[in-house]
Amino acid sequence: MTNKQQTNILLPTNEDTTGPYFPTYFSDESYEDLTQIHSGVIAGPSGQNIILRGRVLDRNGKLANGVLLEFWQANAKGIYRNPSSENHPGLDPWFDGYGRLRSTTGEYTYRTIFPGASKDRAPNITITIFSDGINRIVTQIFFADQKANEIDPLLKTLSDQDRKRLTAKYEGPSPDGADVYTLDIIMAGDNETPFFDDFLS
Amino acid sequence: MTSIGRQLSIGKTDNTSDQRTPRKRLRLIPADVRESFVPVIPARAVQRQNEWDLTRIAPNRPRAEGSPIEVKGTVRNESGTLLRGALIEIWNANHHGRYRHVEDHSGLKLDENFFGIGRVITDEYGNYRFWTISPGAYLARPDIGRWRPKHIHLSISCGSSRIITQMYFPNEPNNASDPMALLMGDSFDRNLGKPYETKIPEVDQGYDFDIVVGGKNATFFE
Ligand SMILES: [Fe+2]
Repeated sequence: MTNKQQTNILLPTNEDTTGPYFPTYFSDESYEDLTQIHSGVIAGPSGQNIILRGRVLDRNGKLANGVLLEFWQANAKGIYRNPSSENHPGLDPWFDGYGRLRSTTGEYTYRTIFPGASKDRAPNITITIFSDGINRIVTQIFFADQKANEIDPLLKTLSDQDRKRLTAKYEGPSPDGADVYTLDIIMAGDNETPFFDDFLS
Repeated sequence: MTSIGRQLSIGKTDNTSDQRTPRKRLRLIPADVRESFVPVIPARAVQRQNEWDLTRIAPNRPRAEGSPIEVKGTVRNESGTLLRGALIEIWNANHHGRYRHVEDHSGLKLDENFFGIGRVITDEYGNYRFWTISPGAYLARPDIGRWRPKHIHLSISCGSSRIITQMYFPNEPNNASDPMALLMGDSFDRNLGKPYETKIPEVDQGYDFDIVVGGKNATFFE
């Protein structure tokens, strides 16, 4: 991570709006439900199944139709599958941690496992939003009633209000035993969700 | 390291941009949690055999209406690393400016022989190539007569490199009034396909479009 600025030699292509017509043809169920590798096989990751659902809203409180959401998280043991964890004994062979879905209406339902807390962190899921009218925006969400929320170094940088805006509410178990969490993402306006600069910072 | 997060800009005459652009400055990510913000996309992209050729629905079907073009280039990150096995998802409007997406209610003409959706994966040298029909421009704001210039949508995923962008065409009259092109300013030319003469009889025109995935994520693990 040192001297990165000096080694960058190319000027980036500009990001652009996704437009309203990201093809549903590209949808892949295995990215919308990380708890099941495929409905026809007995295989899946370790951990407590969860359902994360909510709405993506615009400045006027209207559903942001046609959004593309991408999710990223650690496995149940808190290990991310990335180049710095290669050969880590805590990796789960059935879990990559990356998910993606396009929502026609702006409402979303994502199935995954409860993320383990990685070192000195509270359990969290990073969400990237692509949509018409904007280039990608990024946030990271947390879960209600987690003790580690109080010591999380990212949450600590935020106001009480902003912390609430990033904390998913626990709604109880679903009929099939998954823990249901809800969170609305507000793209702009009074109750705006905090977004983070992963491009420059 | 920057000391302040970006303030995102709203695209002029773009209502959706006004409704969806965060008003607050983006927050900085503390260094000790930065890695948690770097998604790594699994390398299990699939591509069907004919998906590189958008000019026909299947190999034995008729050619779509309009002018067939070739688009090719390399995919790299800012440090110049060639991105091998990068998934490129492609979609563009037909010759008349219409998408086959169920949510496109423009009423413009559909082409029986054009699907408008494709997929390619970069080779071991980071190269990609596809054929499509030169897209039509379409009227985005009938109330003020603002058009979307001809463009091809491209979504690139490769490890920690991720970008959704559009390739535009040089010297198009509507480029100058496009809200997103205006926000790009002088760097808009990076998003232009560079025309080249092609000797392939199947296409009318070639465009070189080299893609550089910017941002810290793309080089984070280097
Ligand atoms: Fe478009």
